[in-house]
Amino acid sequence: MFHNSSQGKYWIWKNEDEIEQKRCKANLKFRNKILESGKPGLSESSFMERHEEDVLFRHYERRMMDFCNAFKPAMPKSVVGTAIMYFRRFFLFNSIMEYHPRIIMLTCAYLSCKVDEFNVSSTQFVGNLLQETPAGQERVLEQILEFELLLIQQLKFHLVVHNPYRPMEGLLIDLKTRYPALENPESLRKSADDFLTQATITDAGLLFPPSQIALTAILTSASRAGLSMESYLNECLGMKEDKETLAKMYESMRRMKTILKKYELPKPEEVNTCKKKLERIHAEFATSSNKRKRGYEEDGHVTKEPRLTEEIMSDEDMS
Amino acid sequence: MDDQGCPRCKTTKYRNPSLKLMVNVCGHTLCENCVEMLFVRGSGNCVQCDTPLRKSNFRVQLFEDPAVDKEVEIRKKVLKIYNKRDFDFPGLREYNDFLEQVEDIVFNLTNNIDAENTKLRMEQYQKENKDLIQRNKVKLSREHEDLEELLLQEQQGNEQRRLDLLQEEQRQLQAKRKNKQALLDELEKSQLPATILLAQHKVRAAKLETQIEQQKLAVKPTNLFSTGIHMRQTVSLQPVPKIEEVLYKYKALHVETYGPLVPELEQLGRLGYLNHVRAAMPQDTAGGYTSALACHRAVQDAFSGMFVFKR
Repeated sequence: MFHNSSQGKYWIWKNEDEIEQKRCKANLKFRNKILESGKPGLSESSFMERHEEDVLFRHYERRMMDFCNAFKPAMPKSVVGTAIMYFRRFFLFNSIMEYHPRIIMLTCAYLSCKVDEFNVSSTQFVGNLLQETPAGQERVLEQILEFELLLIQQLKFHLVVHNPYRPMEGLLIDLKTRYPALENPESLRKSADDFLTQATITDAGLLFPPSQIALTAILTSASRAGLSMESYLNECLGMKEDKETLAKMYESMRRMKTILKKYELPKPEEVNTCKKKLERIHAEFATSSNKRKRGYEEDGHVTKEPRLTEEIMSDEDMS
Repeated sequence: MDDQGCPRCKTTKYRNPSLKLMVNVCGHTLCENCVEMLFVRGSGNCVQCDTPLRKSNFRVQLFEDPAVDKEVEIRKKVLKIYNKRDFDFPGLREYNDFLEQVEDIVFNLTNNIDAENTKLRMEQYQKENKDLIQRNKVKLSREHEDLEELLLQEQQGNEQRRLDLLQEEQRQLQAKRKNKQALLDELEKSQLPATILLAQHKVRAAKLETQIEQQKLAVKPTNLFSTGIHMRQTVSLQPVPKIEEVLYKYKALHVETYGPLVPELEQLGRLGYLNHVRAAMPQDTAGGYTSALACHRAVQDAFSGMFVFKR
């Protein structure tokens, strides 16, 4: 359960500033690493700034969402939620300049299928990359397998992610049982679902427990339908006596709604400029050969020729 | 045993699982047939190490590893000479030193380390302690005899019991047959009607049965436990040491969920939660699934961590 999970202990922070700090630190770490290695031909401007990183991050997140939604066989929502959370957690401590988000996003989806026991074979998985030839799909699969161990390591081996979908179901059941004042809780389901989908692509999962996110979803959709659920909070959830908790709850909900409102899809021109910059950085720093050796060194898997000459995968190859 | 092949004819061991392997003093194995072959031709050399051998030196292999057999043979020979017992020594230290000596000798002879010196040492020891060895041999043989006597007695006792049982069974069978025969005779000769005769016969058969049952249940009174302790013999035991500790107090497990209370699994039906969950199909209930399980999980998840506010 969430209350004694690794998510509750290690992956929930106090506010957005703390999270932003971590991302800046990752950015800085990469810059220092490259500067120390003393490669010629770079200036400060060739590195990506935080807001540019953010733009690309959101873009690739959206792409991952589309990939998962178009997945055959149909991927359950919890798998999608877990994949996006992995993506978000990974790039909390690593910069996208170091690891290209394309590969990481597929690796996240692959790992999430395994962890959530949604059985797809690896060939089936890469079969969903419709733009690739079978040979290309093979290559992608190899890359995914190389990065898998790195991903798990960067997630600190905390692989269980609690999504807000089941709490929402639980709350609906509870509403139907204990709160007859609300005639048709099912009508709240659709817009609560939309709220949750929106919440997964924001940082809400890193700030609030999933039960709070689910509760906010339900209350928001209720208020949109013009229904008041004050008495539910007071009576059924027992917050009548505990004014402090009630106040804190309202505050959290307010914060969450603000975060969701602040989200916006990045504009295509911005995305393209940032992408070009990213490609240049990746080509320049040629860390791709190092990436290959990470992960399976113990198996003596190192005997792969560096594939610097080949393009890893062009962006248009995916959906 | 099949993974070991005879080194000479190689195949015969697999084809003939009943074939036995023989070991000789150099520690190498040969199957029975090969032993015969080897000595038919008159040459007496081991196939692998070329040491001269005699046919009498071959013994049937008891262990999988021939080296173990070899060591066992050597040990027997050494212990025949080095046969001091623990009460021959003034203290534990000296006894242990003696044992270590013995082990060294056995090891040396088995692995052919310093064999000459070791043999010399053995001869010397033998010369020095001749009478001690003799005395100990006698003692050992006497002990062996005692043990063997006990074994024999036990065996005899078992045999006797078996015979008794057989006799008893025979007697019972005979009694039953006599009874049947008596019935037939009476039916022939007697004037009474057949039904009464049959009833009498039944009564007699029942009595016989109960008799047999009683005999089976009657235990011969003995005054000896199987371990050899006489009954009603008081054996003095040391009092068990009493360990005083703090009494264990049960505290129920309390898990902090940081959220509202979740009703118990068993209460869910009564409280009406199960009306809003999909009912379990017969296929699901066969495996032990109930809709309460899914409902409980969902409600637990919904309430877990709800009052966690990290500011």
